[in-house]
Amino acid sequence: MYGWIWRQLPGNAWVRALISLVLVLAVVYVLFQYVFPWAEPLLPFNDVTVDEGSGATP
Amino acid sequence: MVRTFSEACLTVGTLIVLFVAYVLLWTGVKADRAMDGELARLRDSWSAAARAPAPGPAPTPVPAPAASPGAEASPEAPAGYPAGRAFAEMYVPRFGADWHKPVLEGTGTELLKKGLGHYAGTARLGAAGNFSVAGHRRTYGDPFKDFPELRPGDAVILKDATSWYTYTVRAGPLRILPTETGVVDPVPDRSPFTVPGRYLTLTTCDPEWGHSHRLVVWAELTGTRPVARGGPEGLRS
Repeated sequence: MYGWIWRQLPGNAWVRALISLVLVLAVVYVLFQYVFPWAEPLLPFNDVTVDEGSGATP
Repeated sequence: MVRTFSEACLTVGTLIVLFVAYVLLWTGVKADRAMDGELARLRDSWSAAARAPAPGPAPTPVPAPAASPGAEASPEAPAGYPAGRAFAEMYVPRFGADWHKPVLEGTGTELLKKGLGHYAGTARLGAAGNFSVAGHRRTYGDPFKDFPELRPGDAVILKDATSWYTYTVRAGPLRILPTETGVVDPVPDRSPFTVPGRYLTLTTCDPEWGHSHRLVVWAELTGTRPVARGGPEGLRS
């Protein structure tokens, strides 16, 4: 998978390394900005009030 | 085939590490930034409200929000605070000398990422009834990380546009079920209080990283003083 991506990138090894770095940063940005904020409420750390168990929101 | 599988495993492992870093560190960074923003907005609105009225007589030691003629607070006590907005600062010396957090109106998930949440429908600051506040124990800045360290006699100090309010912890931390909503009643269930009074309830989750229970602490109003007279003892500013 990663070997295939590497082979698709243009340029010599340095250019490919640079593009790879940019791709990795882009992926991390998308994860932190969109994917993780969506996934985080599925974890239980947000339940700090005494009403969520009963489903009643004051 | 083996190669693709191992690459997939590596990818999943990296994802998990990144997600843990997000939950443990990045939510804290985001929350600290949001809380600082809320505190700054709050102080701006207070100083604006303080500048707006003509320099009148010395502030009266009445906790009623009479000194803010703007859109800030309505004069009648039963009215709630504007939803989603910070309206007070909380100081808990037990949590550290520099621990102070904004208190926002409401307890929604998004709102609790920006500060502590005041249960809508519970009493106003300093008013008769039960001023109830929820906060994260873990993630989003860990505001109530040291919640189990609270002991009877500890001070929970709040400040709004006009006054300082000192509440003294009377009971807790007590472990309860999430469904026991009576703990934020005007006379809280399971608390040592039996007659109506000016109470404060704090809730957070328990266990630390779980959601099966809640921890709760009750306190009682033991003093108010106008902002102009400076903070109460035990507080530097």
